[in-house]
Amino acid sequence: MTNNSIIIMQSLCKFYEMGDQVVRALDSIDLDFKLNDYAAIMGPSGSGKSTLMNIIGCLDTPTSGTYELNGQQVADMDDDELARIRNREIGFVFQTFNLLPRLNCLRNVELPLIYAGVSPEEREMRAVEALKQVGLGDRITHKPAELSGGQIQRVAIARALINKPSIILADEPTGNLDTATSIEIMKIFSDLSKAGNTIILITHEEDIARYTRRIIRLRDGKIESDSRQ
Amino acid sequence: MRPARRQFRYESTESLKMALFQIRANKTRSFLTALGVIIGIVAITMMGTAINGIDRGFDKSLAMLGYDVIYVQKSSWSTMGKWWLFRNRPDLKVEYADQLNRIITDDPHSELQIAVPQMSTYQATASYKDKTLEQVFSLGTTHDYLQTASGALSAGRFFTLTESAGSDMVGVVGDDIASALFPNESALDKLIQLKNQKVRIIGTFRKQGKFLGLFSFDNQIIMPLGAFEKIYGKNQFTTIRVKIKDQSRIEPAKEELLGLMRRIRRLEAGQEENFSINEQKAFKSQLDPIKNGIAIAGIFITGLSLFVGAIGIMNITFVSVKERTREIGLRKALGARRRTILLQFLIESVMICLIGGVTGLGIALLITFAIQIIVPDFPVQFSPDLVLASILVSVITGVISGLAPAVTASKLDPADSLRYE
Repeated sequence: MTNNSIIIMQSLCKFYEMGDQVVRALDSIDLDFKLNDYAAIMGPSGSGKSTLMNIIGCLDTPTSGTYELNGQQVADMDDDELARIRNREIGFVFQTFNLLPRLNCLRNVELPLIYAGVSPEEREMRAVEALKQVGLGDRITHKPAELSGGQIQRVAIARALINKPSIILADEPTGNLDTATSIEIMKIFSDLSKAGNTIILITHEEDIARYTRRIIRLRDGKIESDSRQ
Repeated sequence: MRPARRQFRYESTESLKMALFQIRANKTRSFLTALGVIIGIVAITMMGTAINGIDRGFDKSLAMLGYDVIYVQKSSWSTMGKWWLFRNRPDLKVEYADQLNRIITDDPHSELQIAVPQMSTYQATASYKDKTLEQVFSLGTTHDYLQTASGALSAGRFFTLTESAGSDMVGVVGDDIASALFPNESALDKLIQLKNQKVRIIGTFRKQGKFLGLFSFDNQIIMPLGAFEKIYGKNQFTTIRVKIKDQSRIEPAKEELLGLMRRIRRLEAGQEENFSINEQKAFKSQLDPIKNGIAIAGIFITGLSLFVGAIGIMNITFVSVKERTREIGLRKALGARRRTILLQFLIESVMICLIGGVTGLGIALLITFAIQIIVPDFPVQFSPDLVLASILVSVITGVISGLAPAVTASKLDPADSLRYE
């Protein structure tokens, strides 16, 4: 663990109580991600990868263990502090895109900046910039319904990038896309990685994981393997 | 603190925009939801205008009695209905007026200006040729009467000191009597029959309207005391009308009159009065509780309709929270804090309530105008206070009905919400 680690997890556990049974969704995870890591978390359903993603994304807190994100201990932060961390440190990309259908691309992309307290003028400027970065500079005023699946996911990536987060966290980003579009999206991620971003993907597709430089396999809440390629 | 305030401003603007978006996107639903508030606000403002109107009608009626006239009578107005309390009191005499006037004129510091005697009966019958009017209010007084009464003459004149002193058989009639007995001709100089006497009409009053809807000033015939006694005898109900100099000093004036009347009646110290001094305020104190009762009952009932509207909004906001669970999850993932989400849904329900409230206010205003045009006598009165109050009520309704769903939304778990189907 060197000092360029952006994420440090130690004996991280997440238990759920289901009736009188305790489900060990994550069981003593030790994991760290370095600056400019490009990693895929893989595993069958029920392996704990969604839980791990939620904790990395500060959408959930661990039952025990420590989680340090960009030098901040987040394991026992309250809701509002977590909201701030999500806003500043993490850019989410979802399988189901999660754009607000009523808003055009520009408004969708600038959403995180509203919660960061950025002025309307600067918001618009930065949103246009981010959309250009994903190749959608000419679709600024389009609504999601007017775009293809690949374009929608690019808008979502632009939204993830806009607040210059420490990590980009993508949950099955190609799960709802066809092969050709998937390749197109993965190319964007690879480009972002080359530009110095730290990216963590969650996927169950080997083809997708192959784009990354590191593959972490989970099984039954434990790390099965962690290999760099 | 400044960045936090700026952030709050941006977030509120965003919430406001989203609320408008949401309302526009679900027009039918928003309209139906707002309808509850519209009906509630219409009901409440109409109730308010009615209460205002009652108040105004009331003041108009009381002004007819005169704010600067107090009345000495056998019984009290403020304990009306308890006639047995006053039954055994001695009758008032018209001579008291002269006695009072002598004392008043001798005392330059008196609060009182003039006392005018009056005898009256509600049971008079007036006829002219083949027309007969029942239940006429017949009144005998002196030529000073007009100093103590409201009402202007529309034709002719009031009787003079000479006519009054000479008990001439002349009279001045109210507008209702004049138009009923003489629909197509002037009433002046006509002889009307009262019991077995004839009275010549020398003047008519302009129309004045009813007092509290109970008693009409347009249904009276006023004549010299002597003439009245010739027709109806001496044993009729007597009132001493006393005009005071300054209507703001009504209390000391009443005190003075009380003392004078005790002197005239030769009451010992400690002996209870056997007369009453009445003023228009007595009616107010009698009718205020009734008016307040109407107001409280009315506001309660109309408030219920608003309450039902509020439940409607609460319900629809809960539905909205459910429908937009993923959106809430997403917003939280992107950095929205609890209170940001709370504010968003509160603003939405307040907006619906405000739209409903303003629409309701507009409708109430139209109804008020319509009533004023169709039935001008019906007392309705719109006031700026009412506008302010109903807008305030709308906002409060919005906050109350939106609070529970908004809190629910703000507490949603972001990870679960994002996966909500």
